[in-house]
Amino acid sequence: MSIYVVGVAAHPATVVEKRYRLEEMVFRVSRAALENAGVSRGQVDHVTLGACDELDGRPISSMLMAAPAGGFMTDEMKVTDSGLMALCLGMARLMTGEFGLGLVSSWCKSSKTDIDPVMRLRGEPFLSRPIGIDGTVADGLFSQAVGMEFGIEEEEASRRAAAALRRAASNERALGHSALEAAAIQASPYVATPLRDLQRAPASDGAATMVLASERFLRNNPHVKPLARLTGVGWSIDSYQMGASRLRSLASFRDAWGRALTMANISLEMLDVIELESPTGWHEAAAVRALGIDDDRISPSGGTFAQNPLVCTGLIGAVEAVLQVSGQAGAVQRAGARRAAAHSCHGFAQQGNVVACFESVGGQTA
Amino acid sequence: MSVGVIASWQSAFRTSHPDKTFIEQAQEAAVGALKAAKMTPDDIDAIVFSLAPTFFMGVADADHWAVDAIFGAGKPIFRVHTGGATGGSVVHAAYALVESGMARTVLMVGAERIAETPDAQKVLNLIFDAFYERDMPLSTNTSVALAMSRYMQMHGVTEEDFAQTVVRHRRNAMKNPHAHLKGEITIDDVMKSPAIALPLKLFDICPRSSGSAAMIIGDTASLKRYQTRPAFINGLSGLSDTYWIGDRITPISRTDWSSFRLPEYVSRRCFEMAGISDPFKQIQVAEFYDPYSCQAYMQLEADGFCAPGTAARLDREGAWDVDGGAVAVCPSGGTLCTNPIAVTGLVRAIDAASQIMGTAGKMQVKNVRNALATASGGIGQFHCMTVFGAEPVHN
Repeated sequence: MSIYVVGVAAHPATVVEKRYRLEEMVFRVSRAALENAGVSRGQVDHVTLGACDELDGRPISSMLMAAPAGGFMTDEMKVTDSGLMALCLGMARLMTGEFGLGLVSSWCKSSKTDIDPVMRLRGEPFLSRPIGIDGTVADGLFSQAVGMEFGIEEEEASRRAAAALRRAASNERALGHSALEAAAIQASPYVATPLRDLQRAPASDGAATMVLASERFLRNNPHVKPLARLTGVGWSIDSYQMGASRLRSLASFRDAWGRALTMANISLEMLDVIELESPTGWHEAAAVRALGIDDDRISPSGGTFAQNPLVCTGLIGAVEAVLQVSGQAGAVQRAGARRAAAHSCHGFAQQGNVVACFESVGGQTA
Repeated sequence: MSVGVIASWQSAFRTSHPDKTFIEQAQEAAVGALKAAKMTPDDIDAIVFSLAPTFFMGVADADHWAVDAIFGAGKPIFRVHTGGATGGSVVHAAYALVESGMARTVLMVGAERIAETPDAQKVLNLIFDAFYERDMPLSTNTSVALAMSRYMQMHGVTEEDFAQTVVRHRRNAMKNPHAHLKGEITIDDVMKSPAIALPLKLFDICPRSSGSAAMIIGDTASLKRYQTRPAFINGLSGLSDTYWIGDRITPISRTDWSSFRLPEYVSRRCFEMAGISDPFKQIQVAEFYDPYSCQAYMQLEADGFCAPGTAARLDREGAWDVDGGAVAVCPSGGTLCTNPIAVTGLVRAIDAASQIMGTAGKMQVKNVRNALATASGGIGQFHCMTVFGAEPVHN
């Protein structure tokens, strides 16, 4: 059974969104996605959300957010890892044959959140929390481990962060951060050795919604034109323990990619664009080595350095991937892009990974 | 494809489990279900983790912490969180993975540790809108008390009528080794229990329970391999209502909060999928998500077991009794006796499926062909239903 993407939208990239409340942001994005798809909210029969209570600052945040995202008198579920994980569940629900049109929505107003305490709250209370593990320290441990495993030097991580910022500077959907020279990034202070401050993608505010449809829905609604086919998804997770062997292995990263490619029935070489969620330049350096891929296919949008609303970043990567295979990626469009994939990671030191593969439906590729 | 339950496990539920950590609780459930299924972790294709707000426990994303304990490393796993409806939504998510062909077998597992917070009500108070509703003050108790008052006024039902439910549930729970509250009590005991938010009194309200649960489902081939008497998942449905309770009580509301009408829409779709045209005659066991004494009646009426306003009268006539009743309502004692929020919906599903599989022990109702389980979250904003059957209706 084929599943199609029929509409996408993302909130304009913003470091601090002051004009709209979170629910207004998400409402606007879901409405834009529905308009992009040419369907009405009343036709939607299920909604899958990807969001985090702790980052949203309230228990059961989907109570407030489900309706703005499109979920009123519809079947609704929330996953908490990643917006891209919500896409996986949304796809599974459509593949049951019991649904026809679904929304997948994710968001985060990072500027309203004290991120470090939230990350510290993710530490188990017996060992991780007392020794001060948080997101930054975990990324530092990851950087150290993959540096040793793959021989990655600090300069490469800085160079990759600089390159991502340059790519993002060409992307009209990106934050508009100033491009930085690698030397300036390399001169920034350590935050968790060997990780330096500017090697990290800064958090931002954002939201994204994707409209998925079944083949049956498209047959019954011929005016709705698909943007892309969602061909495969995969996800996997590593041990919670951040021992060196776990951090070096990138096991769940490789596993998630393997599962998605198998489902899509393609090889990695067949992908024209790979939108990676790389919280730091170290992550990207490790990813290209683990996958054995060239830099020129990596995150034309600027990836995580283009915008980084936590939890939602992976779904924004998926939007970028769909825009690529539908020939609508604008200034960062890769000519002839037929297949693209988006990746997301979650948990301390990329504990969990998610991948989704998209394919052009033909006739729309630039 | 037929999707069905292979095995399940649940802990004894009580206020706290100081002898175990959260991940040990989750592991106990996962191991229990695997042993019951005679499966190993390698036989599990994917895991769905059942975990509602982590503010109760104080460890965010505790599902990540539990990965090793539940044999999840290297497997596809995600967490579902729809408030109190979480456990029910988890069943639906796992079903989607199997029915879609993404997995042959799925382990659902979760744990609740609500007593880690001194007052769960203070956490729950934060679910309400900060600008309009939180200062009223709305709480889970006051919002249900408002609905209960209106229901009483509409249908002439009394506090004593609701107390019957409490008496029956606590008596049923005496046969449930996992139940938190149980025992022989009287209507007078309920009436004399301390007032919380009138007409709700202490005994009209569920306890705060801790514990863990797990269930394994599989596709047709897995069912043939691991279970000779599965409970087939024949119907599923869920809906999300408006956040605003005020919008659920106006004359033009799509649903009426005072009568808990959202389940009407949910059950209609679910019964259609499960081939149920007359629930009163075709469903033998109903494991409702009923943390308050009024909510079983409301669901019985909304789901079409009886006409609006008649559930209390039928209760007096014994219609909902385990022995001799037409439909055994919450033979486990239901949510009114045990409410480990993260897994309550999953426990409801386990208790319903067990009745089909003939593994309900002393709670077993005779000749059960169809059993339903519900789950609600976010002050009734989210509601879902699953119908289990002895025979598959989808091949």
